Amino acid sequence: MKKGVMRPGHIQLRVLDMDEALNHYVNLLGMIEMDRDAQGRVYLKGWTEVDKYSLVLRQADQPGMDFVGFKCLDEATIDRLSADLQAAGVATEEIAAGDLKDCGRRIAFTVPTGHRFELFATKEQTGKWGVGNRNPEAWPRDLKGMKATRFDHCLLYGTDVAATAKLLTDVLGMDLAEQVVDPEGKQLAAFMTASMKAHDVAFIEHPEPGKFHHASFFLETWNDVLKAADLISMTDTSIDIGPTRHGLTHGQTIYFFDPSGNRNEVFAGGDYHYPDHEPVTWDAEQLGKAIFYHDRQLNERFLTVLT
Amino acid sequence: MNNNYNASTPETPQRHRIELADEQTCFNASSELSLLVAMERAGQALIPVGCRGGGCGKCRIRILKGEYFSKRMSRAWVSPEQEAEGTVLACRVYARSDLTIEPDPPEIATSCGTADRAS
Repeated sequence: MKKGVMRPGHIQLRVLDMDEALNHYVNLLGMIEMDRDAQGRVYLKGWTEVDKYSLVLRQADQPGMDFVGFKCLDEATIDRLSADLQAAGVATEEIAAGDLKDCGRRIAFTVPTGHRFELFATKEQTGKWGVGNRNPEAWPRDLKGMKATRFDHCLLYGTDVAATAKLLTDVLGMDLAEQVVDPEGKQLAAFMTASMKAHDVAFIEHPEPGKFHHASFFLETWNDVLKAADLISMTDTSIDIGPTRHGLTHGQTIYFFDPSGNRNEVFAGGDYHYPDHEPVTWDAEQLGKAIFYHDRQLNERFLTVLT
Repeated sequence: MNNNYNASTPETPQRHRIELADEQTCFNASSELSLLVAMERAGQALIPVGCRGGGCGKCRIRILKGEYFSKRMSRAWVSPEQEAEGTVLACRVYARSDLTIEPDPPEIATSCGTADRAS
């Protein structure tokens, strides 16, 4: 049952070199730089996003994800979900408004897979970049690179996916859209949605908690995915795999790495989910096909290369 | 980012021979390419390939002999002490002389974990 969590609103990634990272996210992915703060963090967004930013980059000596934040309907929802988390035995921490630029207070907590999650309800809305809100044109003409439209979801690797999926379902009101289960019925992967999207955040079981697999950005069409692949070659960017199609969610995809080794995905298409839909289930012995529908083979790098 | 200050960047690309410690296998690497990308372009698979960006640790090696230039790499996989003793990620290292190396890929779930992670 929906409890007022709307969408992944931001993700903060650690990068080894900010200039290299910005060249990648701005010139290759086509994200828009929106702001910087006193800590040196840089705030970016895809052009269709209404909120001021969705991607925050922080220079550090270990790449990976600091946190992913979900935007909720309103401040009353934040109060209610914060109390619900505490009642479920989850410790929460309130971060004051303004810690992230032009963002209201955030409630932070750690899920069983070891990742830091946040809930927030208030962030400055600058509107879609380059087009207005009244009689808007189809798209702005000066976009760069892959012209990523939005930050869509992230995939996280860690311990106890089942407990994390249960927490997000029971307390935050997300739905389990797809899962991978082993022959004993253990949940090895959980694709969670707070919306109609096939996933707003996904998890895969892994022995080390808190690992980051990828941040994904949405493109409109399969042809855009192909052109993204061309740009990856033109710029000698580190490729992972693709263009291809997933079995899970059936999205059309390509994977590559930012200059600090954080994996990125751009994708198009994919399935949708309503709250009354049963989860789609993949059997672990079909995992190769579930992940890469055409190759149908387990891809060692996809399963073990993490930041 | 150069932590090996004696190994300056050559004006024209130099070709160096990268030998594995077992002396059975080797590849040539241009000073312009990371050891890992040079190995891939040579069509070899002597070192595991991961992210190619200094993040995932897959391509960790020990440099036993030779001069090199290295860029910043994740402290999850190489501590400052290890780096001083020649443990590096091959995707962040550029040859400045012939090198002798040996692969040192980390086990899954063995990152140092204590480096700069929290916000």
